[in-house]
Amino acid sequence: MALKRMSKYLPSELLEYNPRLYAFVSLLAVSVIAFFVFPMKEFMGYIDPFYSPTILVLPFIGLYRLTCYAYRKDYNRHIFKHPVACPVAERMDSRSRKYTGERSAIFKVENLHRYFLYLSIILLPFFYYDVFVSLTYSGMLLLRLGSIILLVNAVLLTLYVLSCHSLRSLIGGRNDCYSCMKLGGFRKKVYDRQSWWNAHHEELAWLSLIFIIFVDLYLRGLAAGMPIDFAFMVMH
Amino acid sequence: MHDNAIKLRVFRKGPGDKGPGRYDEFKVPLEEGMSVLDAVNYAVENLDSTISVRWNCKAAHCGSCAAEVNNYPRLMCKTRIEDLGPVVTVHPMGAFPLVKDLVTDLSGNFEIDGKIKEFRPKEGLGEPWIMHDIDVGRAQEFRKCIECFLCMDVCHVVRDHGTKYVGPRRVIKAAALDMHPMDTIDRSVSLTKDGGLGLCNVTKCCQEVCPEHISITDNAIIPEKERAADKLYDPVLMLVDKLKALGKGEEDGTKKNE
Repeated sequence: MALKRMSKYLPSELLEYNPRLYAFVSLLAVSVIAFFVFPMKEFMGYIDPFYSPTILVLPFIGLYRLTCYAYRKDYNRHIFKHPVACPVAERMDSRSRKYTGERSAIFKVENLHRYFLYLSIILLPFFYYDVFVSLTYSGMLLLRLGSIILLVNAVLLTLYVLSCHSLRSLIGGRNDCYSCMKLGGFRKKVYDRQSWWNAHHEELAWLSLIFIIFVDLYLRGLAAGMPIDFAFMVMH
Repeated sequence: MHDNAIKLRVFRKGPGDKGPGRYDEFKVPLEEGMSVLDAVNYAVENLDSTISVRWNCKAAHCGSCAAEVNNYPRLMCKTRIEDLGPVVTVHPMGAFPLVKDLVTDLSGNFEIDGKIKEFRPKEGLGEPWIMHDIDVGRAQEFRKCIECFLCMDVCHVVRDHGTKYVGPRRVIKAAALDMHPMDTIDRSVSLTKDGGLGLCNVTKCCQEVCPEHISITDNAIIPEKERAADKLYDPVLMLVDKLKALGKGEEDGTKKNE
């Protein structure tokens, strides 16, 4: 009965038997619990990007990725199996399953992607500040492998966030007449440059996600005493 | 590797035939550079002249020979036999009503055209219209469309769910008009409310199968979804647009009419 009542408000994709969805949600839950139970906010001047500036922003960052067009393609295909693949023979039971697309209440949240984008842009400078802290925490300029890893992470996150489809629309996609507006040529150039990065948004989405997890594991490895960091240069 | 011949399986069903149809098998000698359309034509000319197949240019320009080759929507003329296995199965596009064998009725696609609001130019424009490269470049990509309707065939929303979604081909048309610098209408809201744009879940199959390599999802569907979000889901932008319209200052390049 309760399930029937819920089916009025929840899309059928969430209510049908779906081991991939259960696996994804379980993995997410275990990760989130691990972040709180085994926090590793800072070690030897390295700040874990998951805790920067505070782990409390993590839900919003998660929502940015969940509403991202790149991941929407992936979870609609591989978790909800709408469709499981483009070849028509692979679909099997598509026709018999209910489908609401992005119109059901819960998926309408995807239209708010731009607000999570704004927050993500605000958070980007913190990752560069973390690099600065890692370089100077000992009172002198200390260049270590970990600082370079943090910098690569910051650059990947920046490229991922700034290549967003919503940003593409906001900075120029919604304009139809550049020659009618002030600085039209410049704005079109910015739009074109961003569009080039936008074409690589999916790669950047996955690369930045994998790398931020790698950074977290790297720092935990360091904290556990693994000899995986060394200094390149020290300046007093 | 192929030997000297391939096994060609062609879907057969006539207008009066009942049941799901059948596959007829033909042994077709392999030639260098042979396309799937060449193999089907060989079968028509030498083995069974009753096979119905639609084709015209043999150069991937007319879109007539669209079909499902080994379950993947492709142009038969653009698909090389050597890229496929020793068995090649050809099926008509399953999203459309069957006429006979490999021929489908595509007229429904053109009926959907009526759902897209027509081009409405700005008032008081002197002739000839002067347009600039920076304004027309984006929409030119959509002019490459040859209307093969492979994107409509592969779209799981159109094919599997029988919804009111107008489909990728029509979203391209709406986007081309919306991005036109002389046009005055924004079609994204009507596309969302009446055209079922929200049913598209951006899985990009249409983009994958497009023989003209048009970035259908990235450059047409997502921009239209974002424009609709501007007008339906973004209170901040809605307020900014209202204030701009009140101020009637610098033209901001976005359209205001629905």
